[in-house]
Amino acid sequence: MRASLFITCYNDILFPETGRAVVRLLERLGVALEFNPRQTCCGQMHANSGFRREAFAQARRFVQIYRDTEFVVVPSSSCVAMIRDQYPGLFEELGNDALRKQFAALLPRVYELSEFLIDRLGVEDVGSCFPHRVAYHASCHGVRVLQLGERPYRLLAKVRGLELVPIPNAERCCGFGGTFSVKNAEVSSAMLAAKLQDVVSTRAEYCTALDNSCLMHLGGAMHREYVGMKTIHLAEILASTEADYERFPVEGTR
Amino acid sequence: MSTSSRQRILDRVRAATVAVASTQAGEAYAALARGYIRQGSLTREACVQRMVERLRGYDASVVETTPDQLLAAIRAQLEASGKRLFVAPQGLPAEWLIPGFDWKIDHGLTTAEIEAAEGVVTAAFCGVSDSGTIALHHGPAEGRRALTLLPDWHLCILRASQVVETLPEYFDRCPQPPALATYISGPSATADIEMTRIKGVHGPRFLQVILLRDESR
Amino acid sequence: MSDAEYGRVNLDPRFAPPFPEAALHELRNPQLRKNVAHAIDVIQGKRGKLVAEKTDWQALREAASEIRTHVLENLGEYLEQFEERCTAAGGVVHWAADAAEARSLILDLLRQENAKEVIKIKTMTSAEIQLNPFLEANGIRAYETDLAEIILQLGEGEPSHIVVPALHVNRSQVREIFARRMGLKNLSDDPQELTNAARTYLRQKFLSIPTAISGANSLIAETGSVAVVESEGNGRMCLTLPRTLITLAGIEKVIPRFQDLEVILQLLARSATGERMNPYTSLWTGVAPGDGPQKFHVVLLDNGRSSILAKPKERQTLKCIRCAACMNACPVYRQTGGHAYGSIYPGPIGAILTPQLMNMEHAQSLPFASSLCGACYEVCPVKINIPEVLIELRAQVVNQERKQAKRIFDPLYIGLRIASFLFASAGRFHAAQWLGRNFARLFTRQDGWMHSLPSVGAKWTQTRDLRGLPSQNFHEWWAQRGKESK
Repeated sequence: MRASLFITCYNDILFPETGRAVVRLLERLGVALEFNPRQTCCGQMHANSGFRREAFAQARRFVQIYRDTEFVVVPSSSCVAMIRDQYPGLFEELGNDALRKQFAALLPRVYELSEFLIDRLGVEDVGSCFPHRVAYHASCHGVRVLQLGERPYRLLAKVRGLELVPIPNAERCCGFGGTFSVKNAEVSSAMLAAKLQDVVSTRAEYCTALDNSCLMHLGGAMHREYVGMKTIHLAEILASTEADYERFPVEGTR
Repeated sequence: MSTSSRQRILDRVRAATVAVASTQAGEAYAALARGYIRQGSLTREACVQRMVERLRGYDASVVETTPDQLLAAIRAQLEASGKRLFVAPQGLPAEWLIPGFDWKIDHGLTTAEIEAAEGVVTAAFCGVSDSGTIALHHGPAEGRRALTLLPDWHLCILRASQVVETLPEYFDRCPQPPALATYISGPSATADIEMTRIKGVHGPRFLQVILLRDESR
Repeated sequence: MSDAEYGRVNLDPRFAPPFPEAALHELRNPQLRKNVAHAIDVIQGKRGKLVAEKTDWQALREAASEIRTHVLENLGEYLEQFEERCTAAGGVVHWAADAAEARSLILDLLRQENAKEVIKIKTMTSAEIQLNPFLEANGIRAYETDLAEIILQLGEGEPSHIVVPALHVNRSQVREIFARRMGLKNLSDDPQELTNAARTYLRQKFLSIPTAISGANSLIAETGSVAVVESEGNGRMCLTLPRTLITLAGIEKVIPRFQDLEVILQLLARSATGERMNPYTSLWTGVAPGDGPQKFHVVLLDNGRSSILAKPKERQTLKCIRCAACMNACPVYRQTGGHAYGSIYPGPIGAILTPQLMNMEHAQSLPFASSLCGACYEVCPVKINIPEVLIELRAQVVNQERKQAKRIFDPLYIGLRIASFLFASAGRFHAAQWLGRNFARLFTRQDGWMHSLPSVGAKWTQTRDLRGLPSQNFHEWWAQRGKESK
């Protein structure tokens, strides 16, 4: 099986270890992974900030780059939500019929990581080992737009040695919200403080999620407040194997 | 002023919806999705019991009785209330006006007269067990609206045969839409102070229901 | 901003401070946040149980959404039908194009009755048109009769929620207000005693004031009837005891048929207060001989609704049945309460309704007062896709601002424009990453994190650190891996 990795703009710059983990994981599962170096951004930040004209350009670029790909895998549920939820409206508004058709054909081939594993590859046990106490943060786009449901939990359940602890009020937003985190920084921080209380109450060593955006926000506060917890993308947990524990600590600890 | 505004508003509304308005609104209406539950699935007995439960859940008091025991049940409720002066709608069955109490029949009572009464006795149109709701259509045996509003104590005689399970079933029971209706789902309440539910703000603080078992079980 | 500078809460969108500023003020009030969280948790807990029990909940939402959409798409026809039937039943229907006209219509009607006082059932629509101060200025006292509204009226406060307007006020605050304004020296703060005080205070008013003003939950086109949903009984008092009743309702309140209440009523109480049914629902049609007010007027209000109706994506805003489930579910509202929104319609629905009613000339910060988490859409009984409308309104605000050259020097706008330029080409994007990485080094401390950033970044680092940019990003790693394997 071939698939193309859409790393996402912020993962490329800020969390390359998540990308490396996705590569390691998918190649281990027999996927021939490609990476198109022309990729940049899906346009979510611009669309959600009201810069629709700019978002058009990015959406168009995405379709042009990936239109002939077999599958596109994305380790970010908010970016897939953008593509699934907002791209149709954008292309409708653009009025470019050819582009709209190309996108319609591409859309079913775009997968968030946990969707790709469960729905496409049909695996839950990816051979991973991560002997730590972990709390899973269910990002809003993943829960509500992508309706990921049980997928991440099914994957986590098969990770050897992992103790999963539920976060109280799990479906409440962490307060990141993209540019909301700076445009309404104080409210974002109030929401973050409330979320942090819930996450910290789990006494987990790691907080994981399918979106580094939420983790950057949570992790940033954890680091600032000297909270004894680290954040890690689910891909890195899934990429980790027993062999890692014999030789060196898990990549991606922060 | 209002009539020219009327035209302006309707013109704006029509212009706003010209692309989506149906040529046959009635047909479009008939085609709307109605996938929700309309018919209940409980047995009659379970349905009536649920009505009793839900009424009690709202702190209405409920007493069950049979047709031959009805008058005794009404007397017992009136006596237990400790009250003497009652108002009644003009169409209330005469035998329900139990002797030994002061009855004022509503042949045009003033608001002050109703306010002076200590309690009211009425029938009902329908009960919805899903929510413990009593529907009054303010017919002759139910009385006009002020009658069940001002007195502090309301005795309502509800027949088991009037009880349905779901709200849509109540709507099916209406031969046509009522001109007046009041749906009562327990005594008045407020949760405006710290979300603490307090009963009895305005309207009767005491709702007594006699559930008349007029169906064969 | 200090309390002194902040002054009284301002719910006029034309003058209220922008959301970030107003929210910051509210965030500094721990009593408020505690009261809001408590109230929300109670309602949400109750709602959750009842929704779980209602196996056809999603089907009800779908039906309600379709009914409301259908009405809006055919609003002209249904409004005329309502007017005809209501008039035939003895009601008088008036049409008000805007708030000023509505106020003036109502004043005329009250003057015709020589009314010096009027009793009111809570109606957000009357607050929208700022009716009470207008009546006051014209010598007519309007007495609110809902407990929450009395608390606010006597305490000179402002509503912060559309169903539980005084949820930001706790019992000792209520006690203080009642003791002072009702002259009750020995009043305790027990909610039962406070409620009894309100009951006594209002009873005489209900029995003696012959003119009432109400809102409407639904206007039924088929029959010309009006439905009002309530808990306390003050509604029933105002709707049946006076001689004259004036009902003010937005034109979007219409539903096609009486039977459609079977959908709306099952959703409304569960969404609004977490009950299977609210204590009292009243339905009346025009004038009923011998029962209730013998003079009945309906004032239909446009006030910007017809403009919203014209916009395909935004039209869904008008489906709203004013249940407040959205604000109960909103994580932003939970932290700030309602006053931060500077409108009598707060929370998620307020964030889309308020700026639109103002024709996008005011309250432009409201569409941004959201993290787009989607919890509101999930609970909305009529399926308003609030996040979709928020994003649409954000685009409109930005387009406005582009034209006004307002934001040429706004660092966030500059940053987004630059980012867009960079995202248009991989070469530019990669070059910028390299530059960014080197620039970021200036701010990266020994622990490998940035603790303090300039400009827009400062908003991040107010409360969060940001990890330093890795020395090799993903696409560089991939390229290197490719070379190594050859």
